[in-house]
Amino acid sequence: MNRLGELERKVMDVLWGSAKTPLAGREVADQLPDRAYTTVLTILDRLRRKGLVTRTTVGRSHRFAASDTRESYMAELMIEAMGDSGDRGAVLVRFAESVSSDEAQVLRRALDDVTNDGEHHR
Amino acid sequence: MSLFVTAAVLMMMAFALLGPVSARLAQSSWVTRAPRSAVVLWQSIGLSAIASGIGAGLAVAVSRYHAGFAPGMRELVIGLVGGHPLLGLGLPDALGLTLAADLLIVLFVVFGSLMARTIRSRARHRRLLNLLARESPQYPGTELIEDIRPVAYCLPGRRPRIVMSDGALQLLSSHEARAVIGHEQGHAQEHHGLVMLPMLGLQKLFAWVPYARLAPVEIASLLEMSADDYSSRRNDPHHLAAALVLMATSGHVPSCSLGATGAAIPIRVERLLHASRNSKRTALATGFIAGAVISAPLALMFLT
Repeated sequence: MNRLGELERKVMDVLWGSAKTPLAGREVADQLPDRAYTTVLTILDRLRRKGLVTRTTVGRSHRFAASDTRESYMAELMIEAMGDSGDRGAVLVRFAESVSSDEAQVLRRALDDVTNDGEHHR
Repeated sequence: MSLFVTAAVLMMMAFALLGPVSARLAQSSWVTRAPRSAVVLWQSIGLSAIASGIGAGLAVAVSRYHAGFAPGMRELVIGLVGGHPLLGLGLPDALGLTLAADLLIVLFVVFGSLMARTIRSRARHRRLLNLLARESPQYPGTELIEDIRPVAYCLPGRRPRIVMSDGALQLLSSHEARAVIGHEQGHAQEHHGLVMLPMLGLQKLFAWVPYARLAPVEIASLLEMSADDYSSRRNDPHHLAAALVLMATSGHVPSCSLGATGAAIPIRVERLLHASRNSKRTALATGFIAGAVISAPLALMFLT
């Protein structure tokens, strides 16, 4: 993963960590001590343009919050990863589809026949 | 007149390739002994059908020159470049040109938009991974996502991403995990994402064409076998077979909509448990047939 992506993820983690309370840019930067304040602001702006972060303005200060919870992004990722979205475009190839329970038994037995001959077992 | 015969034969060939030939190939079991060549065969059937369709249109269009296909094509191109392509154009010529042009336009638009959609959804998935996945300390080059459901996959792209869930790592021994990662590296190294790119979405659009219905499913499962082979050259195939069984039977509800691909699991396990899973002779013969399929329409066009 490139450095920018890494930083975006860290900023998102901070915002997700603060639950529903929007944070000022300074507060985000304080939780990322090895990053300059201006860098954090730039990242926050990038994330806002990508729609991942919302900004509210109170008086003269901006406050930032994640547009959506980590869990809901995770759910979206898993739906695609499991091939349930009906669109097989993104995740070309899942390692294994599920099989029926009858097939499962046959498969386990076939595998046992081979592995019982020696070498490897869990 | 003979160019009309050529056109008719080319059209028949296109229909045969997209229909009965595809249906027959989808039912063949020998393809599992040479999955990579079989993928090439599926690709050449598609390309050959397209070439036949366009060739048929062109053959009709150049028949008015009474000079055969190749010299006729030269006249047609000279006419087009000279800016008077419609000079002396009769009804059959116009129909032929329209057929050829329509086919080309439909192909560009359809494939272009389908591929653009796939590339966009892959990019969106990549952004999600950037936010949510972490590099695995144990398996460099593999990213982990926090979910108890066992999944492992390869996200295609210029820099393909190999992803596993915590659930998969808990389910598998380290040997098995390595075999699975090897399988995903096979997808990445052999550019399976590119192979699938023109296939995705065809099913929905042209469900009435057997090729469009069958080729995406068949090619997808052949690519799985090809990735199994890649992993088996580097890891014990029994570990991969064990991982396959564990992942496929891990208990979450089977998705009925994709039943066709689910059926490939027993075949893949069967292949992995047998040392003679691949046959050089089958691969060679398949490659030869693919070559014949692709050169048939070209030969037909340029020999008349």
